[in-house]
Amino acid sequence: MNIPRILELLQEVLPAARLEVQTVPIDEHFISLPPDNLHAAVRALLERSDVYHLSTITGQDLDGQIELLYHFWQGGGLTLRTGLPRDRARIETITDLIPGASFYEREIAEMLGVTFLGHPDPQPLFLPEDWEGDPPLRREFALPEEREEGE
Amino acid sequence: MSQPWLRRVVRWARRRSPWVMHYNSGGCNGCDIEILDLLTPRYDVERLGILKEASPRHADILLCSGPVTRQSRDRLRRIYEQMPAPKWVLAIGSCACSGGVFAGGYNVEGGVDQLLPVDVYVPGCPCRPEAMIDGILTLLEQVQ
Amino acid sequence: MSTRITIPIGPQHPLLKEPLSFMITVEGERVVDSALRLGYVHRGIERLCQTKTYVQNLHLFERVCGICSHVHTTAYCQGVEALLGLEVPLRGLYLRTLLCELERVHSHLLWLGVLGENIGFQTIFMYAWRDREIALDIMEELSGGRVTHSGNVIGGVRIDVGDAQFSSIVSRLNDLEQRVEKLLGVIQHERTLRVRTQGIGYLSPEEIRRYCVVGPVARASGVDVDLRRDCKYAAYGRLHVNVALAHEGDVWARTLVRAREAIESLRLCRQLLVGLPEGPTRVRAPRRVPPGEVVSRAEAPRGELLYYIRSDGSDKPARVKIRTPTLTSLITVHDQLEGVETADVSVVLSGIDLCIACVDR
Repeated sequence: MNIPRILELLQEVLPAARLEVQTVPIDEHFISLPPDNLHAAVRALLERSDVYHLSTITGQDLDGQIELLYHFWQGGGLTLRTGLPRDRARIETITDLIPGASFYEREIAEMLGVTFLGHPDPQPLFLPEDWEGDPPLRREFALPEEREEGE
Repeated sequence: MSQPWLRRVVRWARRRSPWVMHYNSGGCNGCDIEILDLLTPRYDVERLGILKEASPRHADILLCSGPVTRQSRDRLRRIYEQMPAPKWVLAIGSCACSGGVFAGGYNVEGGVDQLLPVDVYVPGCPCRPEAMIDGILTLLEQVQ
Repeated sequence: MSTRITIPIGPQHPLLKEPLSFMITVEGERVVDSALRLGYVHRGIERLCQTKTYVQNLHLFERVCGICSHVHTTAYCQGVEALLGLEVPLRGLYLRTLLCELERVHSHLLWLGVLGENIGFQTIFMYAWRDREIALDIMEELSGGRVTHSGNVIGGVRIDVGDAQFSSIVSRLNDLEQRVEKLLGVIQHERTLRVRTQGIGYLSPEEIRRYCVVGPVARASGVDVDLRRDCKYAAYGRLHVNVALAHEGDVWARTLVRAREAIESLRLCRQLLVGLPEGPTRVRAPRRVPPGEVVSRAEAPRGELLYYIRSDGSDKPARVKIRTPTLTSLITVHDQLEGVETADVSVVLSGIDLCIACVDR
């Protein structure tokens, strides 16, 4: 995977964004982007580079924001990192570009309460239908034993 | 079934040909592939009269593995209700006994006995096929 | 006028070894639509692991799936070792890889038996599972466990091979290789198997790319990706892996790919044993992991397995994300089932090699 070439490509497509590459084990490169630029960045990767394989999308609840990591792999790892505000976690879906992202986005939607705008089938994937309560991977959510310890 | 000789025959048949049904209520599949292993040439439980049935309505014993996830709860209860009496439940594996490593999870009830009356607990993670056979035979010894 | 009928398959069904729900809508004998419901095996592992230490999580992640348990801990340990900056001794890497390959053999033989059972070919089920016992015996000799081995520790492996074990394992490997070759011969020449699986569940390379499918399903459609050769994790950098490829893209091609992979894995096992270097098998690992993040990949029997781990300096991980390979194949089931006859639904579902415990976590 030619990381300098990909960085050049993304910078060309997103001239206003200040892009930097962070090297992360194991053979992974992280590039941070604002959430509004993510769809355009993925489109550029698919149309103008040889990167097409999305391994998965990770979501996590960090201080102050919900971070999404789009893990790509093409001979080496490339991850696009973006952050969403906790009280307004919405981002455009990439299922129009990569249909395989459908399940990954559904999982993040139910586990972290993120809305993927334009997703064709935004139903819960793993949680039971009668799930009440906070999304399980959010900080507010406590496991039964944690709730007991807190009391 | 008033005649005592008939009752003896039925009891003999019940102990000699227990038909089992297997249900995975959310386990990792380790115990389940060992349960399937019982049918294969090395363990070959059919020689003991144990037949693995696909439908609960034909089964005597329910082999239940897994820590019982919330989605599995209703199905497990329904399967148990579909089995004709007399029926018995074996909790196969540590997860079915007590929830195992997954105890405390938000989607896990923690053990089959939270839902159904368990007759024999067969621990192990995963449970060895020999232990399962031992569990079934322990149960059969108690069958009256 | 034909009417549409919806047939539920699962969560309890003789076809499915794990709870999963398909709602197949048929018109006459043809499938016109299908819907999928997951979550019956969802144990909330990603949330549960945040309450356990890195060492306790070894036992948790091993039990994400019973069939591919070792590769889960391999990917996890690799990631934590990278965060700690540990270098696993070569002997440890070789043994870790040996268990990975043995697990691949046992998983593919398991799958072959399940395919046989689902298409009514009970004989293959019995033969494959009988021969699979030899692979389980070898793993038991190495680690003490048939299915879940606890072979990996952070910093290496806890198992080792002595001289007596070495000769016993090699002779069992030879025996197993002969039997698997014979099974491959049966698969290639047995017409019923070929007739039932050819042309079913076709996926084009283009669909594989769009859905980001991995593993033998992708390789059976000609997409040449195998992380053992491409990422060279564990000891794979010192081995030459012959990647099994096919181009027909149907269940028949997937059968051939998996059978050839099983034989290749046995060859790799022998190579690993014969070339086993001297030295320690592990290094000590500290309890606390410095803050950082890592993306660790491994080639599970079903394809690319990904672990993303973030540490915050404590002895418990802040976030572990697991993406298992079967999830990528499940997205394609809807397309694979369209227009298929009801009797062939079992073939399609078997061809994917379902591992729902992996998917639901």
